[in-house]
Formats: sequence, C-alpha cells, structure tokens
Amino acid sequence: MAYMLLIVEPQGQRQTRSSADGHALFERMLGYTRDLQARGVLLASNALKSESVRLNMRAGKPNVIDGPFTESKEFIGGFFLLDCATREQALALAEQCPAAEWASIEVREVGPCYE
Amino acid sequence: MVSFVAMTATQTHRTIDALWRIESARLIAGLARLVRDVGVAEELAQDALVAALEQWPRSGIPDNPAAWLMASAKHRAIDHLRRQRMLARKHEALGHELEMDQQTEHGQRQSGVEHEIGDDLLRLIFIACHPLLSAEARTALTLRLLGGLTTAEIARAFLVPEPTIAQRIVRAKRALRDAQVPFEIPRGEQLAARLSSVLEVIYLLFNEGYSATAGEEWMRPALCEEALRIGHILAELASAEPEVHGLVALMEIQASRMRSRFGPRGEPVLLMEQNRALWDRLLIGRGLLSLSRAEALGKGRGPYLLQAAIAACHARAVTVEDTDWPLITTLYDELARLTPSPVIELNRAVAIAMAYGPAAGLELADQLLAEGSLEMYHLLPSVRGDLLAKLGRYEEARAAFERAAALTHNARERRLLLERASACGSGGLHGIHAVDC
Repeated sequence: MAYMLLIVEPQGQRQTRSSADGHALFERMLGYTRDLQARGVLLASNALKSESVRLNMRAGKPNVIDGPFTESKEFIGGFFLLDCATREQALALAEQCPAAEWASIEVREVGPCYE
Repeated sequence: MVSFVAMTATQTHRTIDALWRIESARLIAGLARLVRDVGVAEELAQDALVAALEQWPRSGIPDNPAAWLMASAKHRAIDHLRRQRMLARKHEALGHELEMDQQTEHGQRQSGVEHEIGDDLLRLIFIACHPLLSAEARTALTLRLLGGLTTAEIARAFLVPEPTIAQRIVRAKRALRDAQVPFEIPRGEQLAARLSSVLEVIYLLFNEGYSATAGEEWMRPALCEEALRIGHILAELASAEPEVHGLVALMEIQASRMRSRFGPRGEPVLLMEQNRALWDRLLIGRGLLSLSRAEALGKGRGPYLLQAAIAACHARAVTVEDTDWPLITTLYDELARLTPSPVIELNRAVAIAMAYGPAAGLELADQLLAEGSLEMYHLLPSVRGDLLAKLGRYEEARAAFERAAALTHNARERRLLLERASACGSGGLHGIHAVDC
C-alpha cells in the first residue's frame, strides 16, 4: 500500500527565515529522508521550489497563470511517497517528520479517483 | 502527550500496533547488542510493548513513542543484565564472565549512539538468516524479528498452523543461543557466504508471496511487501554489494507485474499474456534504478543481478515481440554457467524458442526431459506442451499439459493447464506461455 505525505507549508513562510536557518531545517528533512530510506519504506521524495505556474484548458485554449497565488494561504512544499501497510503506520511515520513542527503533513492513500 | 484528540482505546491499540511494525526491528536490534541474545532481546521488546498497551490507553500516547519504547525496553535490559550478574555471583565459576559482562556494558554505554542503529539492524538480519538454521526457520525468524509480524500472521502467510510457527521460532532462537552465535557483522571471506544466505531468505519470502506454492491463492502480497521492505533496508546497509541491489531490482520488477497476474476470475495470467499497461511504472523505474546501482559498482554479475537484468528486458519491452530475446538468451547462458540448474535450462529453452523458433527451444526441453532431473516439476511438461502446440503437434501437446496439471500443487494453475489441454484436443490454439521468466 502506498501513502503520500504532502508537506503543506504556509505561504511566504520560507522567506521569513535566514539562509542559515533554512538550511538547518532542510538538513533535518534530509536526515528524515535517510531514516525513511533506512526503514525500507521510501518509494520517492523531493522538496518543491516555491515558484509555481498554473495551467488549465478552457474551451480548448490553455490559460497560464504565474504564481504566487495569494488567494491560497498554503502551498505544497514537498512530498514523501511511502510504502506501508496501514494508515496508522503512515501516520506514525508522518509524526516523525520534522516539517510537522512548522507546516502540516497531509497523509493521503494512493488509489484510483473512483472505486 | 497527544491531547488535542481524545483517542479511544481501540485507536490507541491500532497506533501501538502500527508503531510495533515500524519500530520493533530497531528495538530488538538495539537490545540484542546489549544482551547478546536475540531471544531475550525479543522478549524484552515485547515486555515494553505490553507496558505501552497497559499505560497508553490511560495516559495517552507519549510525544516520542518510539523513544519511549526504547527507553522502557533498555531499562528492562539493564535489569536483566543485573539479574544475570547476581546469578553469576552465586556461581563462583562464572566470575570471569561477570567481569566480561561489566566491561562490555561499559563499552556499550559509551558507543550507544544513533548511527549504530544501522549496524545493529544489519547484525540482526545476519543472525536471523544464519546458515545454522533451516530455510524455514530463517524465514519465520526474519519475519518475526525484522518484519514485526506476529506468530499468527506468519502462520497465515505460510498456511501452516500457528503452533508450528511458534515452535519453529522457539527452536531457532534456542539453536542460536546453544551455538553461541556471536551478534556481529561478518567480515572478509565470511561475508560473501553469509550475505548469500540473507539474500536467499529474502527472495524465498518474496517468492512464497509472489507465487504461492500451495492452496487456492496465487499470491500472498503481504509477504512480497515484507521481502521488499527488508531488501530495501539491506540495500541501504550493505550498499557496496551488487547482489543486494540486484535482488532488490529483481523483486521490484517482478512486483511491478502484480496487478496484471490475475484475470477477472482470479485465474493466473502469465508473463507473455499480461496487459502491460497494468504494470506499475513506478516500481519498474525503481527496479531499473536498483539495477543500474548494482551495475555501477562494476564488480561483475552474480545470479540475482543476472535475473534482474533478464526481468528488466521484459520490463523495458512495450510488447512481447519488442522483447530483446537474443539478449535474454545470452543472459541465461551466463546464469547457467554461474549456477547450473535444470530450471534455468528450462527458462533458457523458452528464451531460445522466442529468439530462434519453437523447434530450437523444444530441442533443449526434450534434452531436459531425457535427463529426468525435472521429472516432478510441472513447468517442464507445461513448456513442452506450449512448444509442441506451436509446432502443430497437438496430440503430444495435450498429453504434456495433462502431465503438467497432474504435477502442480496450485489449484488455479491446474485448472488453467487442463483448459489448455482440452483446447489442444479440439485443435484450437491460443498460445499462452507457461514460464514466468
């Protein structure tokens, strides 16, 4: 069973940190990544940059909108795709994620949109 | 304490259960280093779990539950060592060992740091897969100590009664204690032999899950998942060993086909008939990555790496016809030289048939039949049946399929083979391949 941990960060939070503080936090996240790997549960993971672009197709025409999107208070700052047997295991692993201290971890099971 | 949600006792138990599955191996590994006995280490870890089951529903789950479990278990380990020492005092003859115990305990207190977790786990894997133990004992002990599975879960996975597994585990732990097997990571020449024993256990677990040897169920996915997880742990701990990555690659690529291995009625669908759109691209990608990690080490190709390379040929091919069969044939040649076995020869026969025509493949399969070493193996007549049918020799094909059906222990596979036999009888033919190579 695969679960996705999505790191939901407050908009603009990264910019409030000094470079040294930011790097220190990132280093902790890398440590967490190594730990997941050592547990044999990590399928994929990465951090995401702040800059974003949104695209949709309406009436056959693409609309491209550059971020930041001020109407949303949060953005996805990174993800961990985990291979674990139950939701409880995914939650227990999410609890150990350092980003839980400054952001939220959204835990989602991987599966089809409609059963 | 987790105070913002009022957890029910059931929720707390589910959380503890989940924690046990992800933390127990590290707990047992850390404790085994202290007490030098995996059996005792497991009991101490279990005691800590029981304490959590008693306390947490009342007091709430602590902030760092994993650390709580470890601290609680370590206190028990220290008590255990003290009791041992008191016992030793009563027996003067054991005075020397007492001294040794104290020394090691002191040494350990200084070195008991985070980065040793990896080494502890690796020691635990090596001890659970010790060649002193039978293959059955090794797989059961590995699931118990590394996978955190209960005796009942292991029994269900292997379709044997729970007391059988319980006894297997008790005997295994006793055998390790009696032989005073050291809790260590083998070095030098020993490493290769011990590592191959570990890889064998992991692959056995995987195969037991992937292709159930008996009963109605074709697959038991929990065993595959567990084997993959332990494989991934080992790949991190022993990252310089190409065969470890080779095994992980092999399991990942095989696991990528899980969803395509059954038809709508639960009947098995073999490799060449599978809907490749159902193959898990993520797992294939990971498998190919593990394969390249192994090859990048440049230490030559062992049997797991070669099998992974063969599996990769299938994974890369969009259709059966796209498959690089001549490459698969040469990979099987190399594999057969390294680990000569009639089963590999049989797979080689299938690859040759695909690369150079059914007659060429049948020639090798018939040689195997004449040798008689695969007399009781259902896949030999199954492959022969397939090749004979392709050559239009339906009567011989039907006899071969019937022979194969009589030999298999898997009920679903038997039905499939009998269907193919009767299809030959009516002259019809839809060639599905019998070997999952």
